[in-house]
Amino acid sequence: MAKIGVFTCWCGENIARHVDVEAVSEAISKLPGVACSMNYKYMCSEPGQSLISEKIKELGLTGVVVASCSPHMHLKTFRKTVELAGVNPYMVEMANIREQCSWVHSDKAVATAKAIELIGIAVAKVRRNAALQPIKVPVTKRAMVIGAGVAGIQAALDLAAGGVEVILVEREPSVGGKMAGLSETFPTLDCSQCILTPRMVEVGQHPNIKLMTYSEVEKVDGYVGNFKVTVRKKARYVDIAKCTGCGTCWNACPKKNKIPNSFDYNLGNRGAIYIPFPQAVPARPTIDADNCLRLQSMKKGKELCGICMKNCGSQAINFHDQDELVEFDVGAIVVATGYKLYSIGKEQENPNIKGYGEYGYGKYKDVIDSLQFERIISASGPTGGEPKRPSDGMTPKTVVFIQCTGSRDNAKGITYCSKICCMYTAKHTMLFKHKVHDGAAHVFYMDIRSGGKMYDEFVRRAIEQDGALYHRGRVSKIEEIKVDGVKKYRCYGADTLAGEPCVVDADLVVLACAMVPSDGVTKLAQKLSVGYNEYGFLSESHPKLRPVETNAAGVFVCGACQGPKDIPETVAQASAAAGKALIMLSQPYLTREPEIATVDEKLCAACGACVQTCPFKAITIEEIRDRKGNFIKNTSRVNPGLCMGCGTCVSVCPSKSVDLIGFTDDQVYAELESLLA
Amino acid sequence: METELRNAIRKLLEEKTVDVAIGYGRVGVGGAVGAVFVTSPDEVDQLVWNNECRQNLAVHLTRPEIKALGKIAIVVKACDARAVVVLANESQIKREEIVVVGVVCEGVVKARFDGSNGEQFFEKCASCVEHAPKNVDVLIGDEAKAAELDAKNAPTAATSGNQAKLAKLRAMTSEERFQYWRGEFSRCVRCYACRQSCPLCYCNRCVADKNRPTRIETSASMKGVFAWNLLRAFHLAGRCVSCGSCAAACPAGIELDLLNLTLVNAAKEHFNYVAGEPGVPPLIGTYSLDDEEDFIR
Ligand SMILES: Cc1cc2nc3c(=O)[nH]c(=O)nc-3n(C[C@H](O)[C@H](O)[C@H](O)COP(=O)(O)OP(=O)(O)OC[C@H]3O[C@@H](n4cnc5c(N)ncnc54)[C@H](O)[C@@H]3O)c2cc1C
Ligand code: SF4
Ligand code: SF4
Ligand code: SF4
Ligand code: SF4
Repeated sequence: MAKIGVFTCWCGENIARHVDVEAVSEAISKLPGVACSMNYKYMCSEPGQSLISEKIKELGLTGVVVASCSPHMHLKTFRKTVELAGVNPYMVEMANIREQCSWVHSDKAVATAKAIELIGIAVAKVRRNAALQPIKVPVTKRAMVIGAGVAGIQAALDLAAGGVEVILVEREPSVGGKMAGLSETFPTLDCSQCILTPRMVEVGQHPNIKLMTYSEVEKVDGYVGNFKVTVRKKARYVDIAKCTGCGTCWNACPKKNKIPNSFDYNLGNRGAIYIPFPQAVPARPTIDADNCLRLQSMKKGKELCGICMKNCGSQAINFHDQDELVEFDVGAIVVATGYKLYSIGKEQENPNIKGYGEYGYGKYKDVIDSLQFERIISASGPTGGEPKRPSDGMTPKTVVFIQCTGSRDNAKGITYCSKICCMYTAKHTMLFKHKVHDGAAHVFYMDIRSGGKMYDEFVRRAIEQDGALYHRGRVSKIEEIKVDGVKKYRCYGADTLAGEPCVVDADLVVLACAMVPSDGVTKLAQKLSVGYNEYGFLSESHPKLRPVETNAAGVFVCGACQGPKDIPETVAQASAAAGKALIMLSQPYLTREPEIATVDEKLCAACGACVQTCPFKAITIEEIRDRKGNFIKNTSRVNPGLCMGCGTCVSVCPSKSVDLIGFTDDQVYAELESLLA
Repeated sequence: METELRNAIRKLLEEKTVDVAIGYGRVGVGGAVGAVFVTSPDEVDQLVWNNECRQNLAVHLTRPEIKALGKIAIVVKACDARAVVVLANESQIKREEIVVVGVVCEGVVKARFDGSNGEQFFEKCASCVEHAPKNVDVLIGDEAKAAELDAKNAPTAATSGNQAKLAKLRAMTSEERFQYWRGEFSRCVRCYACRQSCPLCYCNRCVADKNRPTRIETSASMKGVFAWNLLRAFHLAGRCVSCGSCAAACPAGIELDLLNLTLVNAAKEHFNYVAGEPGVPPLIGTYSLDDEEDFIR
């Protein structure tokens, strides 16, 4: 006989305000199989949990229903509670009477009646629950980090320091990400290169780290602890083991300084064979096939140029290089693919986002984005750190900075705050004023958001010590004009504090564009089965309690791919992700939830519908043979390591030969029947 | 053609390419045409080919007792040939282990209730544009003639035969249509002849027979007959090859093929999908990262 204990939580006032918990306990106590029905102020607290375990011991309960918040919040908590009291943890069900009841109803009678129904459903289900054992799976003690910006570098170094082998995959020819191109960094104004390059060198040299630059993830198979990742190593045409990085080739290339360098956001040039920047790791060149004379001529059956090859003393150049697919077995994956700036005024990939045609970005050469400005004032940048404007090389005297370009703009489709622009714009004004003492730095802003240690002080310094001119308002239009024969950009702004229009004729305009996720991240996320939001930022498992885990077991996130953030936060998150991955990899084996699909092999018709629909490729068609090896029949079979328990197979199976343990047809129908009764 | 067919099967059996040939013979009451299972070259004269060969023999391919006989040759018309392809796509048969003997079909006639032959051709034949079966190993009959017949039907294929009947139903208001099907289904006795005759209803345990919990009402009540017939139609969506066996088998004369044709048309219209093409993934239920629909990934 089932002996069910039902424990209704008040959640302080959260539930009790709209649900009459006494009436609920009373009504539920009359349901068949219910041995006790109680309520308490905070079921998840120590006394609440003790109440449950006392009742288990006192009455010999066989199943428990906790009526409280979402199972996302506390299912684990209550499973632990009953387990400690000697009952199988899978004999707990939760009825969500908070998010799905008290929070969405204001009529107490309605909410109370609904709570009773919701709990009734859970009671009906728990009566059919079975004791389950977690699944044990082995772990490969190796990790992969995807993306080698500061996030990926930090995560890789921490994992490597923890004694784990790391494969660091970066799609660009060098590690470093955006930070490698920044000038000086808020809030301390230390030079970005000086703090990052030593770490870049370290990842290049660490015995536990295998660097895979100019590479991308092609395919991900397997499951937590046992991923099989195929990486495409793109043809680089340079054997980086033979190359010494001497530089003869890139200096000899006839295309030298003729091709826009994407590392400098096209403000500087490079050759067809190039290293993106002098401090690149690995400091080995790459041939840009689209611009290489030899590679292009080979397509037409000719062999032009080849000067780099002829000059290379190490015979490192191979024009017949091909993409290579390399497979890695890894136990954990850290995603650190970072961000890019939203393309203002250009075609948007996301149809819901619009550009700013009115700012003339792309049309006016001196309207640039914030990362371009970083290059212009960076000592390693194309102008050697001299602030020169792109169109004519003039030193700008008046610079207009426009914050929130794209961000927080419902009309343009990006609702979020990019979080770092207030800070880096303040930094930009300071760096500019440090170089152009008689210059004027105008900032148009909506609000100044400078929460953080020493952050507000930093912004105040820009305003008070360096004399940045802040105007609270937006710029509606930018027009190119000529003043005394010199090109200027008239910015039609507003100063809402002064309550009047504010027009500034600028030599240079810098747009603090919204941060959006890197290109291709949604494709990658799909390969990894990681969720993402409408903008493509990867979803963490819980915003507060599991900030670096994802809903794909064994896959972690850190850095700007998860949401806009600055370097300190990125690094902290990267170490957190590495720590979580290390915890996982240090286990002798992993346990997984046993709520997975299972096929009744006698009944299965092996039609393959489930095989085709399973998003995790967890089902295959197998043969059943007798002991002598005679074929009996085909059946589908679930790989318990791969199945995520999504239940898709159950819904497509025409003969309902597959069932989801923990959510069996029997349980689900009992739940429905309890509602209809 | 019959001689040609017999010779081809004789050769397959003599050379031991196959152990059994499934074909048509006069085995029913009063010499009605039905399935014969020929296992020796001496028996091939039992085989017949005429416009009474209405059954879709592919239904036998998945039966364990037939599989137990060894390697199989099967005689198919064009619509039946498509069913064989679906069976292979759904891993019910290994296509390379079966010899498919296709026969050019000029149309088959309906049976009368007493089992004798009517003069009336099946509606599906009026709109048929595939008289010569595809994806077969041996083809018997005159391909030129088949092409001629295809060409003759092509201009009216979308408006004749069952399509014409369906168009009439589609022209009704939804209430009228509901009443029409209510009337049809009310005659259903849940004999499952439709399921038995359909080559694609091969489940070991039909969901209609599932208990604990019962997924669909099992009685022949109005609720039960609606549940059953709609469920069967949905299970055949993107799979039904319009062979018409179900409708031909139904003792209540319910036009089941019209129900399925609605979904056949929908598959064609919305997804440009025709069931019975080799190696094509199923229409319903495929998970792919390259799916055109974004929301589904
Ligand atoms: C103008 C500007 C100024 C800034 N100034 C400061 C500052 O002063 N101080 C501060 O704290 N922060 C600053 N930031 C923020 C800082 O740039 C970010 O916090 C930091 O770079 C985030 O690091 P990340 O590693 O997450 O991303 P990224 O630096 O973007 O690195 C991601 C890496 O992943 C790679 N990648 C992407 N997709 C793939 C893929 N599919 N496969 C393999 N590799 C992939 C990329 O090539 C890149 O190397 C500034 C930002 C901007 C825009
Ligand atoms: S529940 Fe079914 S469809 Fe979902 S992952 Fe498991 S096997 Fe695949
Ligand atoms: S869908 Fe059902 S019948 Fe078909 S293979 Fe899967 S479990 Fe078997
Ligand atoms: S549902 Fe009817 S018409 Fe369709 S394949 Fe089955 S028997 Fe043939
Ligand atoms: S053959 Fe006709 S009567 Fe029999 S179950 Fe099918 S639809 Fe109903």
